[in-house]
Amino acid sequence: MHRYGYSNGQPAAAYPSAGKAAFIDPHNKFQPRTRSMLRRYLPSIKIGGIIALVVTALLIFFPGLRSYIPLSIDEGFELETVRYYDLSNVQGTARGWEREERILLCAPLRDAAPHLPMFFSHLKNLTYPHNLIDLAFLVGDSKDNTISLLSELLEDLQANPDWKEAYGEISIMEKDFGQKVNQDVESRHGFAAQASRRKSMAQARNWLLSAALRPTHSWVYWRDVDVETAPFTILEDLMRHNKDVIVPNVWRPLPDWLGGEQPYDLNSWQESETALALADTLDEDAVIVEGYAEYATWRPHLAYLRDPYGDPDMEMEIDGVGGVSILAKARVFRSGVHFPAFSFEKHAETEGFGKMAKRMKFSVVGLPHYTIWHLYEPSVDDIRHMEEMDKERKAKETKEREERERMEKIKDQFDNPSSQWDKDKSDIRNMAKQEVEASEAEKPAEMRVESNNGKARIIDPLDEIPVLGEKPPPSW
Amino acid sequence: MPPFRTARRGTSPITIGLLLMLTVGFIYFLFSAPDSPTIRSATKSATNALSPPSLPFIKSKSDGQQPPPPVVHYYMSNLTASADPVANRETVLILTPLARFYPEYWENLLHLTYPHELISLGFIIPKGKEGNAAFQQLQVAVSKTQSKSSKKRFASVTILRQDTESPLPNQSESERHKMENQKARRAAMSKARNSLLFTTLGPTTSWVLWLDSDIVESPKTLIQDLASHNKPIIVPNCFQRYRDPQTNTPAVRPYDFNSWVDSPTAQQLAAKMGKDDILLEGYSSMATYRSLMAYMVDENGGDTNKEVELDGVGGTALLVKADVHRDGAMFPPFAFYHLIETEGFARMAKRLGWTSWGLPNYFVYHYNE
Repeated sequence: MHRYGYSNGQPAAAYPSAGKAAFIDPHNKFQPRTRSMLRRYLPSIKIGGIIALVVTALLIFFPGLRSYIPLSIDEGFELETVRYYDLSNVQGTARGWEREERILLCAPLRDAAPHLPMFFSHLKNLTYPHNLIDLAFLVGDSKDNTISLLSELLEDLQANPDWKEAYGEISIMEKDFGQKVNQDVESRHGFAAQASRRKSMAQARNWLLSAALRPTHSWVYWRDVDVETAPFTILEDLMRHNKDVIVPNVWRPLPDWLGGEQPYDLNSWQESETALALADTLDEDAVIVEGYAEYATWRPHLAYLRDPYGDPDMEMEIDGVGGVSILAKARVFRSGVHFPAFSFEKHAETEGFGKMAKRMKFSVVGLPHYTIWHLYEPSVDDIRHMEEMDKERKAKETKEREERERMEKIKDQFDNPSSQWDKDKSDIRNMAKQEVEASEAEKPAEMRVESNNGKARIIDPLDEIPVLGEKPPPSW
Repeated sequence: MPPFRTARRGTSPITIGLLLMLTVGFIYFLFSAPDSPTIRSATKSATNALSPPSLPFIKSKSDGQQPPPPVVHYYMSNLTASADPVANRETVLILTPLARFYPEYWENLLHLTYPHELISLGFIIPKGKEGNAAFQQLQVAVSKTQSKSSKKRFASVTILRQDTESPLPNQSESERHKMENQKARRAAMSKARNSLLFTTLGPTTSWVLWLDSDIVESPKTLIQDLASHNKPIIVPNCFQRYRDPQTNTPAVRPYDFNSWVDSPTAQQLAAKMGKDDILLEGYSSMATYRSLMAYMVDENGGDTNKEVELDGVGGTALLVKADVHRDGAMFPPFAFYHLIETEGFARMAKRLGWTSWGLPNYFVYHYNE
């Protein structure tokens, strides 16, 4: 109805002089006008008509000109200011794609430019209807070209000629929190930096969500950009379980010398008595982080329960969740669950999020046998190890090359020693023969032939072989 | 148009006039063509219905396929919430969980002098008989205020409906204040507040003003006055006007007891409580001995700018910097340090490093049933 607001909603404004048309009396319309009147008005009418036609034609063929002419319509008239939403329509169901449920996809970014192309290839492959997915990014404290690359890739994405491939609302929030923590692998995962790092990550996530969540969203999907491999159907796969909060298992591939693969996300776990007892001993602001020797929690981790051949639909109740890939019903966030940027029950960020969701009686579930793969970024230790391996390999290669070169050198220097030797051998034999013949009466000389590596060597006690080269090769 | 075609036979000036009219009509339609993104208003507005509810949007005028929504950048680093919000053109989001519609509330809202083009309104209304009635009344009031000729027009209005989660159908004042009903009622209220907050808080909002639907009187400069203190969270004193039955003269009495400074007694009480129990204020069976802002009023009209740092705040009228909510401070629907709803909110904000302040000599007035 609003769409036709201009044509029939406001006739007086649309046709400023339409009122006059009402005065045309149908019974009088064939009466000839007085010639004088017509003659008086005709030229101006003609000129006016021509001008109007020319302007109209110009405006039709050159749409760019339209913006130069001041708009006579009240701008406010076409602004929509009132919106109605019914939140009971956006509770989230198991088959959201059939009910056209909208998903908000959130990705906090920081110095993420190297991973963006991979992330966008994942986006393009998602099978959930793209027009039902709204994208929201928070870019903060980035020192690389994350923002420009991101905008470029997003513009490309939306420029897709197939409208079904284009996404819904796309927002890029730019906010610098002034974080001092480095984002490289080592400082990101070091124990000491964890608590403050987790809190600032939580803050970024909350800013992103609070700015991007709309009354139209049924689901919220959190996805890290550095996921390397994930099923295209991941949204539907997770949604089918119809849980309030659900996460897959996150592993990462490793080089062969490290065992080929490894659990990555240790933040999805079930609470244990040990950890609860530990939590009671810590002070108010302490944050328990998983995967560090400092806190032995003995919690069952989702990651370690993976069986590559297990049922991917198997569910496991968890209390802490990892943030690599979280699908949650939007109502979870609407009711106030967020990523605590403070110590909430001794946890922060995604783990605190899981705890808070549980506290509000939402279901929090992990899928131990449904795995996505995080990008492998070598740690400093790994890099050192790899450097060592590289050094060893290079040393080995150098050694081999040197060996080869020396062998060649020897070969060259000895210049076909076996033929020389054969000649020498026969010479020696001849000499020996002559000697034997010369001293028949004397004690015959002993002669023996030694075999070494298939090469014959004659050892003559009477006449040791004179030096042929400078010195014999040591292996002989 | 048959008259047009028949009139063509004659060379009447009316005919040519009609032609001109049509031309004008043509030009008009050219302007209102949907694919003219160059025509944008000076005030902030979105081009698409998929946009923050705190922004008005230009409605689509064509049938069929819409172009995909554009990529929008929001520079949240530049967002301010300062002592002089009008000069800095800071946007305010007024949020009201609506159970009943009072015309006095709407009148009071309309009289706020803060520039209305910087104000967005958000309402959440439960479904059900009472909610429907309130919704209808609100709709009438909104459509009148938001009509294009209205001078009091707000930047945008978002109206949410939700299924009643409150286990108490009876919202009468006496029933509502029964102690055993308080926790469930305030938990439901917290969820309503959070739902309203997190769906309407846009990337451009600087301040959030929580204003209950039964606040029927406030100074016209409420927003400017509260913001001028430049505090993350600030709450005026909420009183109620009534007629003193003894002297039969108009009088005032304190209404909201949720703004307080904590006491050792209350902390000891809390220490002995179970994890899910909550402390409540204003009940004689649970004497907390907290210093209530309601009783900090200076006699004979003290300094209205007097500030008091608080540990718990009430939500009848409450001005919050949007950053506080963005950091995650929400209204806990569960016992958070044995506190719930707005009081829990103050506690959570404190955990995030934001302090709460009260103005004991600055009043807003609650409806009297």
